[in-house]
Amino acid sequence: MSDENQPLEAFAEDEPLPPIYSADDALPEEVESLEPPSVVEAEFNEEELTDDEKRLRLIEELDALIERLKAINPDYVPPAFSPRRMIDLIETNLGRFSPEMGLAILDKLRSSVSQDLLDVDTWKGIWYMVNYSLDYQTDMLKRRVRGEYETDEWGYDPEVLQAVTPFLNFMYGTYWRVQTSGMENIPDEGRALMVCNHSGQLPWDGAMVGTAVYNEHPAQRLVRTLYATWFPTLPFFSALFTKLGQVLATEENGVRLLNMDELVAVYPEGYKGVGKLYKERYRLARFGRGGFVRMALKTGAPMIPVSVVGAEETYISLAKSDFMARLIGFPYFPISITWPWFGLLGFVPMPTKWYIDIGEPIPTDNYGPGAANNMVLVSQLTDQTRNVVQNMIYSRLSTRRSVFLG
Amino acid sequence: MSNKQIILVTGVADFWGAQVASRLLSPATPETDYHVIGLDSEPPDESLKGLDFIQADIRNPLFVDLLKSEQVHTVCHLVFAESVRASEAAFDVNVMGTMKVLGACAEAGVRKVVLKSSLSIYGANPSNPSFITEQQPPQTGRSYGTTRNLVEIEAFCNGFRRQVPEMVMTILRFASIIGPQADTPMTRFLKQPMAPVLLGFDPLMQVIHEKDVVEALVYAIQNDVPGVFNVAAEGILPLSRLVALASKLPIPVFHLFAYLGADVMGMAGVSAGRHWPIEIDYLRYPWVGDLTKMREDLGFVPSYTAEEALREFAGEQRLRRYMPESAALAYDEERLRDTIERRNRAREISSSNLEETQS
Repeated sequence: MSDENQPLEAFAEDEPLPPIYSADDALPEEVESLEPPSVVEAEFNEEELTDDEKRLRLIEELDALIERLKAINPDYVPPAFSPRRMIDLIETNLGRFSPEMGLAILDKLRSSVSQDLLDVDTWKGIWYMVNYSLDYQTDMLKRRVRGEYETDEWGYDPEVLQAVTPFLNFMYGTYWRVQTSGMENIPDEGRALMVCNHSGQLPWDGAMVGTAVYNEHPAQRLVRTLYATWFPTLPFFSALFTKLGQVLATEENGVRLLNMDELVAVYPEGYKGVGKLYKERYRLARFGRGGFVRMALKTGAPMIPVSVVGAEETYISLAKSDFMARLIGFPYFPISITWPWFGLLGFVPMPTKWYIDIGEPIPTDNYGPGAANNMVLVSQLTDQTRNVVQNMIYSRLSTRRSVFLG
Repeated sequence: MSNKQIILVTGVADFWGAQVASRLLSPATPETDYHVIGLDSEPPDESLKGLDFIQADIRNPLFVDLLKSEQVHTVCHLVFAESVRASEAAFDVNVMGTMKVLGACAEAGVRKVVLKSSLSIYGANPSNPSFITEQQPPQTGRSYGTTRNLVEIEAFCNGFRRQVPEMVMTILRFASIIGPQADTPMTRFLKQPMAPVLLGFDPLMQVIHEKDVVEALVYAIQNDVPGVFNVAAEGILPLSRLVALASKLPIPVFHLFAYLGADVMGMAGVSAGRHWPIEIDYLRYPWVGDLTKMREDLGFVPSYTAEEALREFAGEQRLRRYMPESAALAYDEERLRDTIERRNRAREISSSNLEETQS
């Protein structure tokens, strides 16, 4: 639950945009807040609370939410409340969920009514919030069609990020159960360059590192991942990556981002890393030509080594077909146990257990000006970073007992 | 007459030449010590007050003698024939014409030359950095027609600059030009009821208002700013937002079909310019220019932001369907609001500049 409140809190602090309930999570959010013994509450109240106390606490929380919404949009007046309309509203929105989910929601609603936990005022509060979120969504659609939204100069569109966040959170929390350590090594502000290992045929690891920092770092920093030249040529990937704040991997782009005090992530292994065969897993490929070290030296940004364990086993690539790759213009064409035999199903990754470890920063600001042109230093630092990441992977692998359970 | 600077503007019968000449002649220019000679092979439609018009072609071998006898100080070369496809006639006017003009200027000892180019010369490539600096060499790629001519001209200018270092040569590379009067690929693209875009591609775009184009050219004529500069309005927008701000319906087309369609139309001789006024690659990959040099070295600030330029364009297109332009202005609140904001901004900038010079 604390996760779901994040958009609101973020707004209250400094976000320029109103809170965004994406279409799919708007309803369960409110509905779940009716559920009395929610996980967070249970953790909070170890001394057994009476029903009355729980009820008061819930009312307080709902009131606070309503106050916040009112502060955001003082002009908004919801349609008049009536039980009939409430039911209608629930009915129209239930259509969005699978029958099981819908049933679960209705069950929860019903049980909370029978427990006499919520009085009419609380229902009114829920009414207010559901209406607000619907209103907000229609309004958002209108604004998108009219072009009344903002993107930054790199094309980052916060509304698109909010829309895909539920999916990324599902992959992060439920599917791969990512366990992240060392988040304190990423500064709250200022430039930094994350150097990560690349694996898993598709760049899921980039998405998960970004999700990890966005979810678990106290400053909720946006990771600017530098992606390979191949992606801009692909429809949908090209548009989506740009809107999620990702940037094409060129040295100019990296230096510019770091000079703007952004948090940049690079995957220096590139295609060689992501397209590794299963038998080569967790053996790092060459770290490019040291372009990332030059970026760091030019801007004095610390390099933060990051290891991702678990991504290697998401697809089991047995061989690579250069012929097919050339034929369709891909940088590599993996033959895995599911791809291409099962068509699109081959894209479904294995639900392995993932670990993202963030290591201690390697400072680069003590080499003086012109260090970026010192090829000896650049290659030395490249190898050093590679060794650090490789060692982090090995130490994680030594404690991992099962690919799927961790 | 003797101490007046003599400026020769080529192509005054066309839109850009006429605009620049009239802006130079207008009393709003603080230093009106100009004698403006307009040159074109046909007379301009409307007579520009105070313009000294000479009917001639730039490719004439005696052009050098004209420059010498008139003691021309600055040449603003704006003759340019747009063509969607590669065309010998256009090549002769654009590339050969520019070479001849520059050669004549060097021989006649003209002190300054100002040229208008485009950001499209960098080419739309998947490997383009997000902000292309002026150092990136022009690239042809799939380009044909107008862009290819511009690339050739720029390549020639690059060598020419080294041969004649004493001449001040300014080349302004403009983003997609938009405005109520100008006829450019971008305005043609946005004047159709539906805008064809590529499915799954949404490159970042820059635009510039037609008035700012004229202002920038005049600025380069009035100030000594040698070099090549990217010039675009403040604000980088995704294509989808640009289309939305212009109130156009985007029609997504799968990119392979788009290339195929354009090729077929090209082969069949149907004007490819109608449905794809902008080359397809330019709707697929970003070609955004870095404006640091424009702000710091050129010192020119476009008055319109990208959004303002697009809103003005869209408002104009919307109301023009129902009533003449003059009447439409009575209802276009958005446009007047933007105008007020823009003028306030300009005042702020000039007052802060004044303070700087005083301190």
